[in-house]
Amino acid sequence: MTDFLIAVLVAGTPLVYVAMAGMLAQRTGVWNLGLEGLMVIGACASVVGTKMTDSVALGVLLAAAMCVVASIFLWVAVEVLKANPIIAGLGLTGLGLGGTRLAVQTLYGSEAAVQVERGLPHLDPALGPFSALSIFAIFMPILVAALWVATRRTRFGLRLAAVGEHPFAARSVGASPARYRLVALVLGGILCALGGAELALGSLRFFSANMTAGRGYMAFSAVIFGAANPIGVAAAALFFSAVEVTGVKAQLTLAGAIPQNLILALPYIATVFGLWLSGRTGRRTRVSLAELRDY
Amino acid sequence: MKGSVQAILKPLTYIALAISLTAISFQLIGYSSPLLAKSILEGAVGSPDAITNSVRWALPLLVTSLGVVVAFRSGFFNVGAQGQFYAGAIAVAFVVYPLEGLPPAIMTPAAVCAGIAGGALWALCPAILRLTYGTDEVITTLMGNFIAALALIEVTTGVLKDPAGTGQSSSTRPIDAVYRWSDATGVSTTLILVATVCVVVVWILLNRTSFGVLAGLAGRNPTMLVWQGATEWRLGCAAFLVSGGMAGLAGAMEVLGPNGQLISDFLPTDGFTAILIALVGGLSVPGSLIASLFFGGLAAATLYLPIMAGLPSSAVDVINAVIAILITARAWPKGFERLLMFMSPAHD
Repeated sequence: MTDFLIAVLVAGTPLVYVAMAGMLAQRTGVWNLGLEGLMVIGACASVVGTKMTDSVALGVLLAAAMCVVASIFLWVAVEVLKANPIIAGLGLTGLGLGGTRLAVQTLYGSEAAVQVERGLPHLDPALGPFSALSIFAIFMPILVAALWVATRRTRFGLRLAAVGEHPFAARSVGASPARYRLVALVLGGILCALGGAELALGSLRFFSANMTAGRGYMAFSAVIFGAANPIGVAAAALFFSAVEVTGVKAQLTLAGAIPQNLILALPYIATVFGLWLSGRTGRRTRVSLAELRDY
Repeated sequence: MKGSVQAILKPLTYIALAISLTAISFQLIGYSSPLLAKSILEGAVGSPDAITNSVRWALPLLVTSLGVVVAFRSGFFNVGAQGQFYAGAIAVAFVVYPLEGLPPAIMTPAAVCAGIAGGALWALCPAILRLTYGTDEVITTLMGNFIAALALIEVTTGVLKDPAGTGQSSSTRPIDAVYRWSDATGVSTTLILVATVCVVVVWILLNRTSFGVLAGLAGRNPTMLVWQGATEWRLGCAAFLVSGGMAGLAGAMEVLGPNGQLISDFLPTDGFTAILIALVGGLSVPGSLIASLFFGGLAAATLYLPIMAGLPSSAVDVINAVIAILITARAWPKGFERLLMFMSPAHD
């Protein structure tokens, strides 16, 4: 049981960090489908940075810087140029997936996985199975609690929500929706960088192209499933990881009985199921496509 | 008049902006942008072979993007074209292999139906979730892409695996040449005919039928749709089915056309590029036709880049992605508006 919980935490930590980023954007009314791209940029930059400087801290810092730049680009497209957030977000994902492949090819001459010696610090090996947890995994509950307080109990959090739900009301009390969205996206960029770094440096210690494999979209579904409440979102993200871990365990015990690809598809199916459940409870944001044909 | 000038100038401006941005970035990280531009041009239109190649990549993209146009116009964010494309391809394989031996005159319509049905059924799942339970279609269709990609791997490494292939290969055995719609060049009368029929049918559907009128209404104002006496459920289902069917047909075109077999992970960016084409084309049929030639050219150039200029093929993915980020922009940077007023013939 402990092993299972720890496996869920290891698989779920990157997802929770990225889902928190999506939650912040969602609260300001931006559907951030660029999470997948930001996460892969974070994973790639953290590995490349660590390899170059031989310091994990600098690697994570580089990842944060790259993700913040990418997030600002998204903000300019959505807020300044009024692009459709869903399409721009998907574009950012494409940019992350293509850009990291290009970067790896440019730096190392091939698209093969990039290995690093160092990874994120872990708990003391004396703690047995708990030593599988990195400091990011330990810090995760604190982060979720802090974001819950920040979004639900502070003026900043209320204004963040006001910007998403009623921009005119927000503006009338002096909160600029554009600025709040920028803050939410930049903070989200940092969180995605941390999530990507945890994915690449937490236990694997390598980066390979497309290694996020849809986790960014899963994190986004967790945002919807958890109704953009930090605790609900984190729970949803951990639920998706639990499904993934269950699949892996089932694969070991029932080898051959279930097609491997079906097991690999379980998290995606769980995501659809989760969304279906949240749709049934009546929380839904409608997005309009009409503006795409205005010109 | 100003409207139509804008309709053409605006996407062109943002494509130019996206290309300049990526060109500057490539230059900064040490690639030669002029060389990149030159090799893209050569790879896309530089020779008769290059043009054939551009058309080869444009055909599946065009058919997929027509489906995207139908869904987006009706107000449904069907971003699952990739999954529907794969579903169509898988369905074709399951029809063609068991029925081998039948005359091509029977096989071809059967394959067309299988492709359309495969894609349409794959689109039906998110459609029902959306229309009955209100589950947002963006994520469900995206997840469908991942699930379909895994299903494709399962089929090509499992039931339909080429028995002659080595342990690592994941494809089905080659389809008998009599059933093929084209050889490996991917350009043939059959394929062009299929694409042309799709263009005409979708144009008529959107511009000359009540479905088209209601779809446009649903996309702009769902409340009005109900007032017009139409039901969102039926219209939405139809939009999803047509959209998925088109993507599935494109999958059939690939399997029976240039590929000649089902290969796992073929054309992994077809769906994304098709969305881009639909948007660049302003969600219109003629627009998509032109845009698909442009992106088909880029796709053809992708294969030339590593050989001709030593550039990674992901460079084109990056260009496409930056275009995607900017293409839906509605606001003009200050100054553009004035420039446009000046340039359009009917300003007053």
